[in-house]
Amino acid sequence: MGLDFVGQDADQTDGNIITTTIDKVVNWGRKNSLWPMPFGTACCAIEMMATLASKFDLSRFGSEAIRFSPRQSDLLIVSGRISIKMMPVLKRIYDQMPDPKWVISMGACASCGGVFDTYTLIQGVDQFIPVDVYIPGCPPRPEDLIDAVLQVQQKISSGASPKGVEIVV
Amino acid sequence: MNEEKEVEEQSKPLVLEKLEEHYADALLAQDETRGTVVIVVRKEQVYAVLEYLKTDSELAYTFLVDVTAVDNSQMESELMQFDYARFMVVYQLYSFQGQCRVRVRVPVHENDLNIPSVTALWKGANWLERETYDMFGINFEGHPDLSRILMPDDFEGHPLRKDYPLRGRGERERFNFDKQNA
Repeated sequence: MGLDFVGQDADQTDGNIITTTIDKVVNWGRKNSLWPMPFGTACCAIEMMATLASKFDLSRFGSEAIRFSPRQSDLLIVSGRISIKMMPVLKRIYDQMPDPKWVISMGACASCGGVFDTYTLIQGVDQFIPVDVYIPGCPPRPEDLIDAVLQVQQKISSGASPKGVEIVV
Repeated sequence: MNEEKEVEEQSKPLVLEKLEEHYADALLAQDETRGTVVIVVRKEQVYAVLEYLKTDSELAYTFLVDVTAVDNSQMESELMQFDYARFMVVYQLYSFQGQCRVRVRVPVHENDLNIPSVTALWKGANWLERETYDMFGINFEGHPDLSRILMPDDFEGHPLRKDYPLRGRGERERFNFDKQNA
Protein backbone atom coordinates (compact mmCIF):
# COMPACT_ATOMS: atom_id res chain seq x y z
CA MET A 1 0.00 0.00 0.00
CA GLY A 2 2.98 2.26 -0.24
CA LEU A 3 3.43 2.60 3.50
CA ASP A 4 7.01 2.00 4.45
CA PHE A 5 6.69 0.22 7.79
CA VAL A 6 9.54 0.15 10.21
CA GLY A 7 10.40 -2.19 13.05
CA GLN A 8 8.37 -5.06 11.77
CA ASP A 9 9.27 -8.18 13.65
CA ALA A 10 7.26 -11.15 12.54
CA ASP A 11 8.81 -13.53 15.09
CA GLN A 12 7.87 -11.51 18.16
CA THR A 13 4.44 -10.24 17.10
CA ASP A 14 3.26 -13.13 15.04
CA GLY A 15 2.70 -10.64 12.19
CA ASN A 16 -0.27 -9.01 13.91
CA ILE A 17 1.36 -5.81 15.11
CA ILE A 18 3.27 -3.31 13.04
CA THR A 19 5.14 -0.31 14.32
CA THR A 20 5.76 2.92 12.44
CA THR A 21 6.07 6.66 13.07
CA ILE A 22 3.27 9.23 13.21
CA ASP A 23 4.91 11.27 10.44
CA LYS A 24 4.97 8.33 8.10
CA VAL A 25 1.32 7.47 8.63
CA VAL A 26 0.20 11.10 8.29
CA ASN A 27 2.25 11.63 5.16
CA TRP A 28 0.89 8.40 3.72
CA GLY A 29 -2.61 9.74 4.22
CA ARG A 30 -1.80 13.16 2.82
CA LYS A 31 -0.06 11.75 -0.19
CA ASN A 32 -2.97 9.57 -1.26
CA SER A 33 -5.70 12.13 -0.73
CA LEU A 34 -4.45 15.35 -2.31
CA TRP A 35 -7.39 17.67 -2.88
CA PRO A 36 -6.51 20.03 -5.71
CA MET A 37 -7.62 23.64 -5.98
CA PRO A 38 -7.76 24.31 -9.72
CA PHE A 39 -6.70 27.76 -10.87
CA GLY A 40 -7.34 27.41 -14.58
CA THR A 41 -7.01 30.56 -16.65
CA ALA A 42 -6.13 29.27 -20.11
CA CYS A 43 -5.71 26.24 -22.35
CA CYS A 44 -3.74 24.35 -19.69
CA ALA A 45 -7.01 24.18 -17.77
CA ILE A 46 -8.53 22.20 -20.64
CA GLU A 47 -5.75 19.62 -20.25
CA MET A 48 -6.36 19.67 -16.50
CA MET A 49 -10.02 18.87 -17.11
CA ALA A 50 -9.01 16.02 -19.40
CA THR A 51 -6.71 14.72 -16.67
CA LEU A 52 -9.62 14.63 -14.24
CA ALA A 53 -12.03 13.03 -16.69
CA SER A 54 -12.48 9.34 -17.23
CA LYS A 55 -9.83 8.75 -19.91
CA PHE A 56 -6.87 9.80 -17.78
CA ASP A 57 -8.69 9.59 -14.45
CA LEU A 58 -6.65 11.35 -11.81
CA SER A 59 -8.76 9.60 -9.18
CA ARG A 60 -6.51 6.57 -9.66
CA PHE A 61 -3.98 8.60 -7.66
CA GLY A 62 -6.41 9.91 -5.07
CA SER A 63 -6.58 13.47 -6.41
CA GLU A 64 -9.98 13.60 -8.03
CA ALA A 65 -11.70 15.55 -5.25
CA ILE A 66 -11.43 18.97 -6.87
CA ARG A 67 -12.25 21.68 -4.33
CA PHE A 68 -13.30 25.09 -5.55
CA SER A 69 -12.93 26.36 -2.01
CA PRO A 70 -9.27 26.99 -1.15
CA ARG A 71 -10.00 26.26 2.51
CA GLN A 72 -10.67 22.62 1.71
CA SER A 73 -7.72 21.97 -0.58
CA ASP A 74 -4.02 21.33 -0.18
CA LEU A 75 -2.74 21.31 -3.78
CA LEU A 76 -2.89 24.45 -5.92
CA ILE A 77 -2.68 23.77 -9.66
CA VAL A 78 -1.88 27.02 -11.48
CA SER A 79 -2.74 26.26 -15.08
CA GLY A 80 -2.60 29.17 -17.48
CA ARG A 81 -1.51 32.75 -17.95
CA ILE A 82 -1.52 34.96 -14.86
CA SER A 83 -1.85 38.68 -15.55
CA ILE A 84 -0.89 41.46 -13.17
CA LYS A 85 -4.59 41.92 -12.46
CA MET A 86 -5.08 38.21 -11.66
CA MET A 87 -1.97 37.77 -9.50
CA PRO A 88 -3.51 39.32 -6.34
CA VAL A 89 -6.45 36.90 -6.73
CA LEU A 90 -4.11 33.92 -7.03
CA LYS A 91 -2.06 35.12 -4.07
CA ARG A 92 -5.17 35.51 -1.94
CA ILE A 93 -6.37 32.01 -2.84
CA TYR A 94 -2.94 30.61 -1.99
CA ASP A 95 -2.99 32.43 1.35
CA GLN A 96 -6.43 31.01 2.16
CA MET A 97 -5.31 27.40 1.73
CA PRO A 98 -4.49 25.68 5.02
CA ASP A 99 -0.98 24.36 5.63
CA PRO A 100 0.57 22.13 4.52
CA LYS A 101 -0.03 23.07 0.90
CA TRP A 102 1.70 22.32 -2.35
CA VAL A 103 1.76 24.22 -5.65
CA ILE A 104 2.05 22.89 -9.18
CA SER A 105 2.91 25.45 -11.84
CA MET A 106 1.43 23.90 -14.97
CA GLY A 107 2.72 24.88 -18.39
CA ALA A 108 5.06 27.48 -19.82
CA CYS A 109 2.89 30.53 -19.06
CA ALA A 110 2.49 29.90 -15.35
CA SER A 111 6.14 28.90 -15.01
CA CYS A 112 7.84 31.70 -16.98
CA GLY A 113 5.30 33.73 -18.95
CA GLY A 114 5.62 31.52 -22.02
CA VAL A 115 5.44 33.34 -25.32
CA PHE A 116 3.65 36.27 -23.67
CA ASP A 117 6.60 38.49 -22.78
CA THR A 118 4.32 41.51 -22.46
CA TYR A 119 3.52 44.35 -20.10
CA THR A 120 0.57 42.61 -18.50
CA LEU A 121 1.75 39.08 -17.87
CA ILE A 122 3.51 37.75 -14.76
CA GLN A 123 6.76 36.12 -15.91
CA GLY A 124 6.46 33.09 -13.66
CA VAL A 125 4.18 32.79 -10.63
CA ASP A 126 7.15 31.63 -8.53
CA GLN A 127 8.09 35.30 -8.16
CA PHE A 128 5.14 35.67 -5.81
CA ILE A 129 4.11 32.24 -4.51
CA PRO A 130 6.35 29.24 -3.78
CA VAL A 131 6.12 26.52 -6.43
CA ASP A 132 6.89 22.86 -5.65
CA VAL A 133 6.66 21.26 -9.09
CA TYR A 134 6.91 22.84 -12.53
CA ILE A 135 5.45 21.23 -15.64
CA PRO A 136 6.95 22.23 -19.00
CA GLY A 137 4.85 22.22 -22.16
CA CYS A 138 2.42 24.41 -24.04
CA PRO A 139 0.08 23.00 -22.98
CA PRO A 140 1.44 19.90 -21.19
CA ARG A 141 -0.30 16.61 -21.84
CA PRO A 142 -2.47 15.05 -19.10
CA GLU A 143 0.30 12.49 -18.49
CA ASP A 144 2.59 15.37 -17.55
CA LEU A 145 0.12 16.63 -14.96
CA ILE A 146 -0.26 13.12 -13.55
CA ASP A 147 3.53 12.89 -13.35
CA ALA A 148 3.62 16.20 -11.48
CA VAL A 149 1.02 14.95 -9.00
CA LEU A 150 3.10 11.82 -8.49
CA GLN A 151 6.16 14.00 -7.90
CA VAL A 152 4.25 15.91 -5.23
CA GLN A 153 3.27 12.58 -3.70
CA GLN A 154 6.93 11.56 -3.71
CA LYS A 155 7.88 14.79 -1.96
CA ILE A 156 5.22 14.21 0.68
CA SER A 157 6.19 10.61 1.38
CA SER A 158 9.86 11.58 1.60
CA GLY A 159 8.91 13.87 4.46
CA ALA A 160 10.13 17.03 2.72
CA SER A 161 8.42 20.31 3.59
CA PRO A 162 6.44 22.12 0.94
CA LYS A 163 8.28 25.11 -0.55
CA GLY A 164 5.96 27.55 1.13
CA VAL A 165 6.23 26.19 4.66
CA GLU A 166 9.22 26.33 6.97
CA ILE A 167 8.36 23.48 9.30
CA VAL A 168 5.77 20.74 9.02
CA VAL A 169 4.82 19.18 12.35
CA MET B 1 -14.21 51.38 -70.13
CA ASN B 2 -17.03 53.88 -70.04
CA GLU B 3 -19.58 51.17 -69.68
CA GLU B 4 -17.73 49.69 -66.71
CA LYS B 5 -17.66 53.06 -65.01
CA GLU B 6 -21.36 53.42 -65.47
CA VAL B 7 -21.96 50.04 -63.91
CA GLU B 8 -19.84 51.08 -60.93
CA GLU B 9 -21.78 54.26 -60.44
CA GLN B 10 -25.06 52.46 -60.65
CA SER B 11 -24.03 50.03 -57.95
CA LYS B 12 -23.02 52.80 -55.59
CA PRO B 13 -24.14 51.72 -52.11
CA LEU B 14 -27.30 53.29 -50.79
CA VAL B 15 -25.57 54.38 -47.60
CA LEU B 16 -23.10 56.54 -49.54
CA GLU B 17 -25.84 58.08 -51.65
CA LYS B 18 -27.89 59.04 -48.65
CA LEU B 19 -24.94 60.32 -46.65
CA GLU B 20 -23.77 62.47 -49.54
CA GLU B 21 -27.24 63.89 -49.70
CA HIS B 22 -27.63 64.67 -46.00
CA TYR B 23 -24.13 64.85 -44.51
CA ALA B 24 -21.86 65.84 -47.39
CA ASP B 25 -19.96 68.30 -45.21
CA ALA B 26 -19.25 65.62 -42.58
CA LEU B 27 -17.60 63.18 -44.98
CA LEU B 28 -13.81 63.46 -45.19
CA ALA B 29 -13.26 60.35 -47.31
CA GLN B 30 -15.05 57.27 -48.52
CA ASP B 31 -13.92 53.90 -49.71
CA GLU B 32 -15.10 50.37 -50.15
CA THR B 33 -13.07 47.39 -49.05
CA ARG B 34 -14.16 43.75 -49.29
CA GLY B 35 -17.79 44.71 -49.63
CA THR B 36 -17.76 47.04 -46.63
CA VAL B 37 -18.36 50.75 -47.08
CA VAL B 38 -15.74 52.76 -45.19
CA ILE B 39 -16.39 56.39 -44.46
CA VAL B 40 -14.26 58.93 -42.61
CA VAL B 41 -16.34 61.42 -40.68
CA ARG B 42 -15.55 64.69 -38.93
CA LYS B 43 -15.54 64.38 -35.15
CA GLU B 44 -18.01 67.24 -34.72
CA GLN B 45 -20.68 65.41 -36.69
CA VAL B 46 -20.00 61.79 -35.79
CA TYR B 47 -22.90 61.53 -33.35
CA ALA B 48 -25.35 62.93 -35.88
CA VAL B 49 -24.08 60.62 -38.63
CA LEU B 50 -24.25 57.52 -36.42
CA GLU B 51 -27.71 58.45 -35.22
CA TYR B 52 -28.79 58.90 -38.83
CA LEU B 53 -27.32 55.54 -39.85
CA LYS B 54 -29.16 53.85 -37.00
CA THR B 55 -32.54 55.54 -37.24
CA ASP B 56 -33.01 55.97 -40.98
CA SER B 57 -35.68 53.47 -42.01
CA GLU B 58 -33.97 52.52 -45.28
CA LEU B 59 -30.47 52.07 -43.83
CA ALA B 60 -31.27 50.81 -40.30
CA TYR B 61 -27.72 50.07 -39.12
CA THR B 62 -29.15 49.05 -35.78
CA PHE B 63 -26.30 46.80 -34.57
CA LEU B 64 -23.11 48.35 -33.22
CA VAL B 65 -20.62 45.53 -33.76
CA ASP B 66 -17.52 47.18 -32.34
CA VAL B 67 -15.93 50.40 -31.21
CA THR B 68 -12.16 50.57 -31.24
CA ALA B 69 -9.33 52.86 -32.23
CA VAL B 70 -6.11 52.82 -34.24
CA ASP B 71 -2.91 54.61 -33.30
CA ASN B 72 -1.48 55.92 -36.58
CA SER B 73 1.50 57.67 -35.00
CA GLN B 74 3.94 55.50 -36.98
CA MET B 75 1.86 55.42 -40.17
CA GLU B 76 2.95 58.49 -42.12
CA SER B 77 0.61 57.90 -45.06
CA GLU B 78 -2.46 57.86 -42.82
CA LEU B 79 -1.28 60.84 -40.80
CA MET B 80 -0.79 63.01 -43.89
CA GLN B 81 -4.21 62.17 -45.21
CA PHE B 82 -6.12 63.41 -42.17
CA ASP B 83 -4.35 66.51 -40.89
CA TYR B 84 -1.92 64.56 -38.66
CA ALA B 85 -4.62 63.21 -36.39
CA ARG B 86 -2.88 60.56 -34.32
CA PHE B 87 -5.88 58.37 -33.53
CA MET B 88 -8.65 56.98 -35.64
CA VAL B 89 -11.72 55.87 -33.69
CA VAL B 90 -13.54 53.13 -35.59
CA TYR B 91 -17.22 52.17 -35.37
CA GLN B 92 -18.39 48.98 -37.07
CA LEU B 93 -22.10 48.87 -37.83
CA TYR B 94 -24.32 46.15 -39.23
CA SER B 95 -27.76 46.39 -40.75
CA PHE B 96 -29.93 43.30 -40.32
CA GLN B 97 -32.39 44.82 -42.77
CA GLY B 98 -29.92 45.39 -45.58
CA GLN B 99 -27.54 42.62 -44.42
CA CYS B 100 -24.59 44.91 -44.98
CA ARG B 101 -21.90 46.58 -42.95
CA VAL B 102 -20.45 50.05 -42.72
CA ARG B 103 -17.28 51.20 -41.01
CA VAL B 104 -17.20 54.73 -39.67
CA ARG B 105 -13.76 56.18 -38.93
CA VAL B 106 -13.17 59.39 -37.02
CA PRO B 107 -9.79 61.16 -36.86
CA VAL B 108 -8.94 62.32 -33.32
CA HIS B 109 -6.03 64.61 -32.55
CA GLU B 110 -3.76 63.85 -29.62
CA ASN B 111 -4.24 67.30 -28.07
CA ASP B 112 -8.02 66.89 -28.07
CA LEU B 113 -8.98 63.31 -27.22
CA ASN B 114 -12.64 64.06 -26.59
CA ILE B 115 -15.30 62.41 -28.72
CA PRO B 116 -19.02 62.12 -28.01
CA SER B 117 -20.16 58.84 -26.46
CA VAL B 118 -22.74 56.81 -28.35
CA THR B 119 -24.04 55.00 -25.26
CA ALA B 120 -27.31 56.91 -25.70
CA LEU B 121 -27.76 55.25 -29.11
CA TRP B 122 -26.45 51.78 -28.26
CA LYS B 123 -26.25 50.54 -24.67
CA GLY B 124 -23.69 48.02 -25.89
CA ALA B 125 -21.28 50.85 -26.57
CA ASN B 126 -20.67 51.16 -22.83
CA TRP B 127 -17.98 48.49 -22.44
CA LEU B 128 -16.60 48.99 -25.96
CA GLU B 129 -15.92 52.64 -25.19
CA ARG B 130 -14.43 51.76 -21.83
CA GLU B 131 -12.03 49.36 -23.57
CA THR B 132 -11.07 52.01 -26.12
CA TYR B 133 -10.48 54.47 -23.27
CA ASP B 134 -8.40 51.89 -21.38
CA MET B 135 -6.22 50.93 -24.34
CA PHE B 136 -5.88 54.27 -26.18
CA GLY B 137 -6.95 57.00 -23.75
CA ILE B 138 -9.77 58.30 -25.94
CA ASN B 139 -12.15 60.33 -23.77
CA PHE B 140 -15.78 59.56 -24.58
CA GLU B 141 -17.80 62.54 -23.41
CA GLY B 142 -21.14 61.70 -21.84
CA HIS B 143 -20.20 58.11 -20.99
CA PRO B 144 -21.93 57.00 -17.75
CA ASP B 145 -18.79 55.42 -16.22
CA LEU B 146 -15.60 55.84 -18.20
CA SER B 147 -13.25 53.67 -16.13
CA ARG B 148 -10.69 51.03 -17.03
CA ILE B 149 -12.14 47.68 -18.02
CA LEU B 150 -9.14 45.43 -18.80
CA MET B 151 -6.18 46.84 -16.92
CA PRO B 152 -6.08 47.21 -13.10
CA ASP B 153 -7.56 50.46 -11.81
CA ASP B 154 -4.19 51.79 -10.67
CA PHE B 155 -2.53 51.12 -14.03
CA GLU B 156 -0.81 54.08 -15.63
CA GLY B 157 -0.76 54.71 -19.36
CA HIS B 158 -2.64 53.28 -22.31
CA PRO B 159 -0.91 50.11 -23.51
CA LEU B 160 -2.17 49.85 -27.09
CA ARG B 161 -0.60 53.18 -28.00
CA LYS B 162 2.37 52.60 -30.25
CA ASP B 163 4.76 54.42 -27.91
CA TYR B 164 3.94 52.06 -25.05
CA PRO B 165 6.80 49.53 -24.67
CA LEU B 166 5.77 45.90 -25.27
CA ARG B 167 7.38 44.70 -22.04
CA GLY B 168 5.79 47.56 -20.13
CA ARG B 169 7.30 50.17 -17.87
CA GLY B 170 8.14 47.83 -15.02
CA GLU B 171 4.59 46.95 -13.97
CA ARG B 172 5.57 43.28 -13.80
CA GLU B 173 8.43 43.98 -11.42
CA ARG B 174 7.10 46.65 -9.07
CA PHE B 175 4.05 44.74 -8.16
CA ASN B 176 2.20 45.86 -5.06
CA PHE B 177 -0.09 43.29 -3.48
CA ASP B 178 -1.16 45.49 -0.59
CA LYS B 179 -2.24 48.29 -2.88
CA GLN B 180 -4.27 45.99 -5.12
CA ASN B 181 -5.81 44.00 -2.30
CA ALA B 182 -6.91 47.10 -0.43
